[in-house]
This record gives sequence, structure tokens and C-alpha cells, in this order.
Amino acid sequence: MALVAIIDDDPDILDASSLVLKSKGFNVITASNPNDGYKIVTENNPDLIILDVMMDEPDDGFFLAQKFRREKINTPILMYTSVSKAVGMDFNKNEMVPVDDFVEKPISPEELISKVEALLHKVKESR
Amino acid sequence: MSVQNTKASILIIDDEKGLRIGTQRLLEDEGHDVQTADCGEEGIRLGTSIEFDVAIIDLKMPDIDGLDVLKEIKSKFPNTICFIATAYASYDTAIESTRLGAFGYIPKPFTPEELIYQVEQGIKQRRLILEAERLKNEREANLLELASEKSRLNTIIKAISDGVLVINKNGELVYFNYAALRFLNNGNFKIGDTVIEKLPTEISEIIDKIIKKDKILLKTYSTQIEVLPNHELIIEAACTPVPNPDGTLAGVVIILSNITQFKRIELIKSQFVSMVAHEFKTPLAAVQGFINIILDDSLGLDREKQKEYLSRSTVRLKSLTDLVNDLLDISRMELKTKQREIEDVQISELIKNTLQFLEFEIKKKQIIVDTNIQENLPTIKADLNEIIRLLINLISNAVKYNKENGSIFIIAHQENNYVCLKIRDTGIGMKPEEKDHLFNEFYRAKNEKTRGISGTGLGLSIVKKIVESYYGKIEVESVFGFGTTFTIHLPINQN
Repeated sequence: MALVAIIDDDPDILDASSLVLKSKGFNVITASNPNDGYKIVTENNPDLIILDVMMDEPDDGFFLAQKFRREKINTPILMYTSVSKAVGMDFNKNEMVPVDDFVEKPISPEELISKVEALLHKVKESR
Repeated sequence: MSVQNTKASILIIDDEKGLRIGTQRLLEDEGHDVQTADCGEEGIRLGTSIEFDVAIIDLKMPDIDGLDVLKEIKSKFPNTICFIATAYASYDTAIESTRLGAFGYIPKPFTPEELIYQVEQGIKQRRLILEAERLKNEREANLLELASEKSRLNTIIKAISDGVLVINKNGELVYFNYAALRFLNNGNFKIGDTVIEKLPTEISEIIDKIIKKDKILLKTYSTQIEVLPNHELIIEAACTPVPNPDGTLAGVVIILSNITQFKRIELIKSQFVSMVAHEFKTPLAAVQGFINIILDDSLGLDREKQKEYLSRSTVRLKSLTDLVNDLLDISRMELKTKQREIEDVQISELIKNTLQFLEFEIKKKQIIVDTNIQENLPTIKADLNEIIRLLINLISNAVKYNKENGSIFIIAHQENNYVCLKIRDTGIGMKPEEKDHLFNEFYRAKNEKTRGISGTGLGLSIVKKIVESYYGKIEVESVFGFGTTFTIHLPINQN
């Protein structure tokens, strides 16, 4: 089964997301800040990354995604965007944001799973 | 007012005594004031020392020629009406005397009627001249006033901090003040220049529109222009058409105001709103997420897990409530809507109460609290609730950011005119860059050691507002990993 890395500074979100994914049989690893996030991704090479756009700083999730892409880590990224609109970072899918899809918080288990599965499916197809 | 009834002052200069006295009597009978001179020299002396309405000058006198006397009097008082009287009338002298300013020529001998008629004509002329003079002076005075009014207006317009530009309907600059130059970042405007192209496009477009319109709409068109980048200078230009009395366009008045500060405040406000929105949405998203999971039957959460998520949701909602309360406190403090009840506040008392209030948290972390409070510590004049709030925020931080089995030292003593309060903890401390943001709203140090500590990020900003509202001072020292000390000085009650 696929390995999903969740990087979010809110422990409640980490727990809830993990529970949803684990219930569908995914293996989950978590980190609660960009540094640890970078570490678990490079060490475990997950199949998918779920990344919160805003952790310590308003856009450090976004920068972490850029860092992955710069280092040729092309793992699909699903970005959590709970407050992107509120802080004026209303990402558009056509913009140069190096992520594959967005999930708006709060989490809906159904939507999260369908997006994760769709993304993993897409990757499998392209290989 | 009729001339006949008006008394005039008349000077008669004649060396012939009989004629002199006869004329004097005649004119005095007419009601005039008459003075006489029996020679040219005396005539000049009298005629130039006071201004007569009329002078009758004999042409031939033994000492000085009548024409010279005329010249002297006329040069001193040009409005004195002079007659030349002579028996030796000649065409040349007549011309010469007129050239020198004589009003008329009285041939000798003359009848009383002739003389009176001539003199009355002279007096009439004198009145006309004086009236004309008066009107001229009045007009000049008006013009002077107008000129000084204009310069006063000029001074006022030059002194105001708003920029003013006036452009006529041909697009030529008619008036500007220096503030306008400053705001438009352009030092080479001159009256008469066609300035439309030199103005920022935002303004020239509006002016163009106003000038080209057939009908003048008496409304102001405004636009905002970033003159210097990075919000360093933003101006608002308000362009108003000015009509002629007949309703056609005379020109456009442009008022430029510096709105940089407003824009800055607007930006801070919207940033603050964003931060508040974020602070609200984060716990709400977590709670909503938990509820979604509990409600999702396909996940099949057991009762134990459901309860755990519900109680974690309660914690998040509690933090949301705290946040709302803190925000309300801040807004009350800033709007000063809350009536303060200033009284003598004994800080040593309040420290004990606060420690009792936080006893549960202190015991839970097994923290040792050591106090050193000066006896008979002077009171301060303050609102009791605000000082309680200050102490709770600071001491609960000292607990919250402390380590298990850590210590808190609280020292309070008098220092000159201040009560000095020190709260030192042996907690996780702060990194220098974290310390810099400490009092900012919503700032919470985020590092490997603060994880799991909850707070609104408003506590210290409230503390700072309270301290500063009493003209006190707050300082912080901190060593990352070893602890933090807050030092507060509050002015003591001087009575």
C-alpha cells in the first residue's frame, strides 16, 4: 500500500488526516514543521506528500514544495490551503505553484481520499 | 451740493491796492474766504503754504512775473484753480498761462458779474477735479486691497500642504503651489506651460475627459497615484471643473493630497484582519475536520476515538473563545470604551492572588515558585482588573513555557518612583529573533520546544498595552533553552 507523508503544524489536523488515510489502508508518516517534513520525505521517499501551505511562516509550505521540485523530488504534492484566501494567497491551479492539487481545510474524509487516490492513480498511469 | 452755496478759499495776488481790495470785498460778499497778497513773492508764499481753491494772479507785478507765481503755485498744488488777470492781455501770454496750468484769463478791467461768473466756473472745475481725484484714490485703494487680498490668498495656498494646480481649458498651467511640484515629483512646471503631458497619465486622462466634455458636470473626479514605489508616496488627485459665469468651461482645479499614511493604515488593518481570520479559521478547521470524521460512517470510529476527538475539539473551541475575549480586550483598550476604575492597587497582594489562581497549573508541572516582595511596597494608581490581567498573562506564561520541575522567581520592589516587578522563569526561553516579535499581535514563538503549548498570541501584546497606558515600561531578557525574565516598571502613586 502507498506511503503518504503529511506535513502540517496543527497536531489535530495531522491526527485527523492520518486517521482518515490509515482507515483506507494507507501507510502514513507525519511531520509538524518544514524541516522535519523535508527529512521524512528524503528519508522515506513516500508516494505522496500532503503539505500545509502555512506553518511557521505564511508561505513556508509553498517554499518547501519549491525546494522539493528544485531537488528533483517529484513526488506528487497535495496542498492544504485552509487560509490561503484569507492571507491573499489565492492560488490558481494554472499558476506556477509546484503542487499537483489542492485540498481546502477543513478536511472532508471523502474528498481527501478521492484526491489522494486520483493523484496516485495519475502517477501510476504516467509511469 | 450747489457751487453757489459753497464757500471757497480764494487768494488774490495783485500789486494794485484798489483792485485787490475791491475784488476781495466782492468775493467775500459772495461768501468766500479771501486772502490777499500785494506782490508776487507774498503770493507765492501764501499760495504754496496752504491749498486755495482758487487763485487770481495779476500778470504784471513789479517783483515777480504773474506767470512765475502761477508756476510755483501749480507745482505745489496742481489742483488750485488759477486765473491770470491782466490789462495787457495778449495772445501769447494767454497761451503761455494756459500751458502753465491756468484755468482762465480775466481781462482787466472786469465787471463784478464777469469776475463772479469766472470764479464760479473755477470753483466748479475745482470740485470736479477733487471729485475725480477722490474717485481715483478710492479706486487705487481698492486695487491695493485687491492686490494684497490676492497675495494673502497666494500665501494661504502656498502654505497648505495639499498640492494645488489650476489648468485652463487649453491645458495650460495657470496656477500651482510648491506642494503640487513636490507631489508630482517634477520641478520644471512654469505658468503658461502646456502641462497635460507632464502630469501623471491618471490625472491627464481625467483632465482630458473634462475638457472634451460638452457639458460641464460640477463634480469632482478623483484618482489615486503611487508617485514613489513601495507605497512610499501615494497621492489622491481630485479634479474639479471650474465654469465661467456663462456656464462654459474655464479650467480645471486639481487638488493633490498625500494619502500615504491612510494607505499604510489601510494595509495594516487588512493585514490584521487577515491574521484574525487565520487565527479563527485554524481551530475551526480542526474542529470541523474532527466532526467530519466522526460523522463519516465509512471510517467506523469507535466510541473511545469519537470521545477523544470531541474533547480535542472542545480544547480548540476553548482557545477560540479565549481569542475572542483577548481581541475584545484589545479593542476595548484601543477604543477606550471600557471605563477604567482607577484606585490604589497593591501589587504584592495581587501577586499572591494570581499564584493561587494558577495553583493547579503550577502543581501539575511541579514548578517551584519563589517570591521576594518588598515589605510595604507602595501602591500604584491603576484599574485593578487590568493589573490582574497583566499578572495572570505574565505568570501563566512563566508556567506555560516552563519545564517540568522548573522554577519561577517573582521579585517586586520600589525603584525610585516606580514599582519594579521581575518575573523570571527557568523555561524554554526565546531565540533573539523570536524576542523581537514578542509583543506583536498573534506572534507566538514556534520552535521545537513550543509545540503543544496553546495561546492566542495576544497575551503579551495586551500586557504591553496595559503597561504603556500607565506610562510604565516593559523589558524582556531571554536565553534560549534557559529561561526568560520580564521586567516591568509601573509609576507609583505619588500621593
